[in-house]
Formats: sequence, structure tokens, C-alpha cells
Amino acid sequence: MTQKTANLRRAVRNVEQLAGIVIAAVFVPGIALPNLLSDYELQIGFRIMLYIVLAEAWNLLAGYCGLVSLGSASFVGVGAYVLVGLLNHTGIPVPMAVGIAGLAGAALAAVVAPAVFRLRGLYFTVGTLALGEALRMLMINVPWFGGATGLFLHVDWPSSRELYIYVFGLLCVTEVTLSVGTRSRLSILMRAVRDDEDAAAQVGVRAFRVKLGTFMIASFLMSAAGALQAYKLAAVEPYGMFGLQWSVDVLAMVIIGGMGLRYGPVVGAVFVVLLAELLADYPELHVAITGLILIVLIRFAPKGLVGLLGRISSLLARRLAGVHLV
Amino acid sequence: MVSLEAIANSVASGFLLGGILALTALGLSIVLGVMRLVNLAHGVFLIAGAYVGFFLLQATGVDPIIALVPIGVVIGAAALPVQRFLLEPLTKFGPEAPMMTTFGIAIVLENLFVLYFSADTRSIERDYATVPLLLGPVSVPLVYVFGFVISVGVILIVHAIVSWTSFGRDLRASAVDPGAAAAVGVDVRRVHALTFALGAACAAAGGTLIGIIFSFTPASGANYLLTDFAIVVLGGMGNIFGTLVGGILLGVLQSLAGVTLGDGYRDLVGLVLFLAVLAVRPQGLFRGHAA
Repeated sequence: MTQKTANLRRAVRNVEQLAGIVIAAVFVPGIALPNLLSDYELQIGFRIMLYIVLAEAWNLLAGYCGLVSLGSASFVGVGAYVLVGLLNHTGIPVPMAVGIAGLAGAALAAVVAPAVFRLRGLYFTVGTLALGEALRMLMINVPWFGGATGLFLHVDWPSSRELYIYVFGLLCVTEVTLSVGTRSRLSILMRAVRDDEDAAAQVGVRAFRVKLGTFMIASFLMSAAGALQAYKLAAVEPYGMFGLQWSVDVLAMVIIGGMGLRYGPVVGAVFVVLLAELLADYPELHVAITGLILIVLIRFAPKGLVGLLGRISSLLARRLAGVHLV
Repeated sequence: MVSLEAIANSVASGFLLGGILALTALGLSIVLGVMRLVNLAHGVFLIAGAYVGFFLLQATGVDPIIALVPIGVVIGAAALPVQRFLLEPLTKFGPEAPMMTTFGIAIVLENLFVLYFSADTRSIERDYATVPLLLGPVSVPLVYVFGFVISVGVILIVHAIVSWTSFGRDLRASAVDPGAAAAVGVDVRRVHALTFALGAACAAAGGTLIGIIFSFTPASGANYLLTDFAIVVLGGMGNIFGTLVGGILLGVLQSLAGVTLGDGYRDLVGLVLFLAVLAVRPQGLFRGHAA
């Protein structure tokens, strides 16, 4: 039994290292060789990496800690507005502004946590949905922050390559955070809270702190991603940056890839962005097909594409190994 | 300074509109109360009802306001297989899986509406929609009065079904404790299927009224979904009378905010109230019984 778990643990570690190497192998050449990727490919790379960051952060919340949020847009939006404010008024370097935008997102998470954590399960989901929409309405209606028109960035437009490098940096931060987070003690605490908050509290887990910590980490990453998106667009407005679409896309990616699985969000983000590119000429059809895939996967493969692959490969392995293993 | 008359007008129309909003929220509330399901497809069911009304009028000339019940039955019947084949098998995976499926249904339907009916803004054009009703100094659109009466009527009928029929008894039992209800012989699966259909039917009827009073686009569903959530949270999940009171409260507050602060603040007021109630009293303002 112990031999078996040790093997399993080693296998998990191998998969994690392999996945890290694959991610690096896919994205590093674009940085190392300046002329390898065209401008279009760099932009697609930016989109994929940005969505991986968002999906990983959402998966940390929902998959590991059971906090299914429909409020990702709040944090993307806050990060975006903070970055534009900082770059327009202070002239600090971009990576620092992205970091501060992330901290602003974590601060927002800390402020709203006492209210939204009173809500369990579905109530939390509905509460975060309302939070995102309320922030959007606020930004449209209050006279500060440019109202419904939004704000423009008064610095030079970044090149696609520059953006690619920044988002790769954020992706590295995300992967390291997630790998450390999901392998440490925190991972066990998060899953205990996810599976039964009351039981976890009974055995001495400080559920509120665990949830708050997870929420702040995830919000930091989402706001940093929002900041980079704002830097790319060079303009922010409430309909786009606080749009429900962010919350929805990220949720769909994680479900499609495999919620609660370490590399589910990566697969989901790559899949959804590439699907969107393939069907770029038919936007409505693309969203409808994404929805259909979502429904079918939830119904027949609740652990998403990664779970499906795992099931197929273990089935094949058993077939190949023959009778004596069964 | 806003005149008293304008405030009285807006309170009156907000009150009437609130009753209509309550009908749109009713389905969301009973599905949440009985099935513990956050139905994110509720908004598109509403818009589906509006489209059925729109095309009914266009094709046959029948006024959709007298065809509300058939429209509800059509959408309710269409929702039955959705529950049976997509949602019911997922209940064993906890509440998130069915919720996300309804979300998938919502984006599929919304985009199919865009593909087949275009993204144009539509409204069900009736000449009585613009006639005002004068009550002394107060003037409200006559169609609000129609809508209010119909909505409250439907809500009372649903309340009667839940309170006095054997299906209603099964429904209440399933809401309180599905396991215990099943143990004493209630067919909980059938109750859930019919509850979902009833919820969709109410949404469709409410959507048709919305289509007559306002205009709609395929994307309008999301706004009504949020408004309806606010009403459900105010009234208590699954509480039918609470939903009516919550709808009227929200309607009045939105109208007041619109007339005093500016039109943009209408929706914001609803959401702020929603968040405040969620944070302070998640069980709703009224002590509720399930369904």
C-alpha cells in the first residue's frame, strides 16, 4: 500500500514536471528567438497565456477551495483600472504597476470577503455575480474614472513581443504559486474546507482564513491579468473590463479542461482560445458551440478533457497490461 | 428638485412594474427553493417567451396577452426534457454541475436566438402599450395595470397550486427534505421535473409581458436574471408571497432611484440592495416557508 502511494506520488510529481517543461517548451521559443513568431502568433500566445493565468486562479478558488465564483470580472476590471491610473499618473515601470494592480485586487478580495463568505455554496456564486455587476454599474454611473466612456492610457503602445514577455512572466509566477500552493499544507486545508466546511472547522481548520488566503491569491492573479489586458488595449471602459464575459469564459475554460485538476485549466484555456480562433468568422456559432461542449462534458465527463484523457489512458493501460494486473 | 407629482408617478408605476417583475422572478424562486438549483438559464427562458409571443402575433395576429397560458405551456413543455436528460442525471454531483449546465444552456440559446432571430431589438407592438391611465394627478401606463393584474393573478394561482393540490404537497415535502419525502412515497424526480417546467412557464409568461411593455434583444436575459435574483434574495428563496413583495419593493426603489438620482442608477440600486441583503440577511427579508 505504502509502495503504491509512493509510486503514485512520484507519478504525480513526474506529470507536474513534465507539464512545466511542456509549458516552457511551447512559450519560451517565442521569447528566445525574436523573429520566430509573427505578430498574429504573438497575440494568440498572449491571449492563451492570459487566459491560463485567469483559469488557474479560478481553479484554485473553485476546484481546490469550493468557492465557485461568477465575479472574476470584478478583479479583472479593478486590475485594469488601477494599471491605467498608475501608468498615467506616476510613470512607474510596467511590471511594478502590474504587481500593484494585483495587490489592489487582493485588497478588494479582503474587503468583500466578510460579506461574500457569509454565503455558502450557491449563495456565494450568486453573491459574486452581483458583486461584478454592481461594480460595473458603479463605474458606468459615477463621474470619476471616466464613467461609461472609460479611460485612455497616455503611454506608448507596447509591442506584441513586449506584451508576450510580460504575460509569460505572470504565467511563471502563477505556475510557481499554484505548484507550491497545491502541494503544500494549504492544499489539504483548502480541500478540507471545500469538502465539508463545518467538519473542517470542528477539527481546528480556520476555514475563514483558508478561504480568505485562497481568495486573495486568486484575486491577485486575476487583477494582474486584467492589468496586462488593459496595457494591451491602452484603454479601459466598464462594459468591457467589468463585463460578465470574463467571469463566464474563465468558468467555461476550467470546466472544459477539468475542474480541481492541476493542469485542467491549462488544457481548457488552450482549447477554448484555439476554438475561438478557428471559428473567428462565426462569433455566435463559436459561443454556442462552446456552450454545447460545456453541457456535453459536464454530462458525460465531469472531470473535463484532462479527466477524460486520464480515464482513456488508464483504460488502455489496463487493456495492454492484460489479465494479471486486474 | 423633483416634484412630488413625479415621485408619486414613479412610485405608482414602480409598484405596478414590480408586480410584473415578481412574476418573472417567481420561476427562479421556486426552482431555487425546491430543487436547490441556481437556474442561470432563467433569463433566456424569459426571452424565449417574449419571442414566442412576438412570432405568435406576427404569424396569427393573436394578442399574446390572452395567450399567456399557452405560451407558458409551450416553454414549460420544452423545458421538461432539459431537466430530465441534462439536469436530473447530474444531481448526484452536487449543486455546481447542474448550475453550470443551465449556464451552458443559456449561452447556447442566447446565441441561437442571435443566429436565427438576429440581434435586433424587438418589441411586441400593441396599441394599448402607450395609453396612459389617469388617476387624479397620477398617471401610469395602462399596460402596467394590465400586467400587474395578470402577474398577481398568476402568482396567486401558483400559490394555490402549491398550497392546496396534492402536487403542491409533494412539492413542499420535496423542498423541505427530498430524502424523507422519497421515503414516504413522493416521486421526487417527477416533482423536480414539474417544478422546473413550472418555473420555465412562469418565466415565459413574464417574458411575454416584458416584451409588450418594453423591448428585448437576445442578450436582455442576463439583465432580467440579475433583477430576478435580487427579487428572490429580497423575498427569500422559494417564498412565493415573498417574491411578490420583493418584486414590488424592488420596482418602487428602482423607480425612485431613477427619478431622483438619474436613470443609470436604477439597476445599481437593485444590485446594492441585493448585496446588502445577501450580506446581512441571506435567508431573505421575510421569514419564509419553503415554496
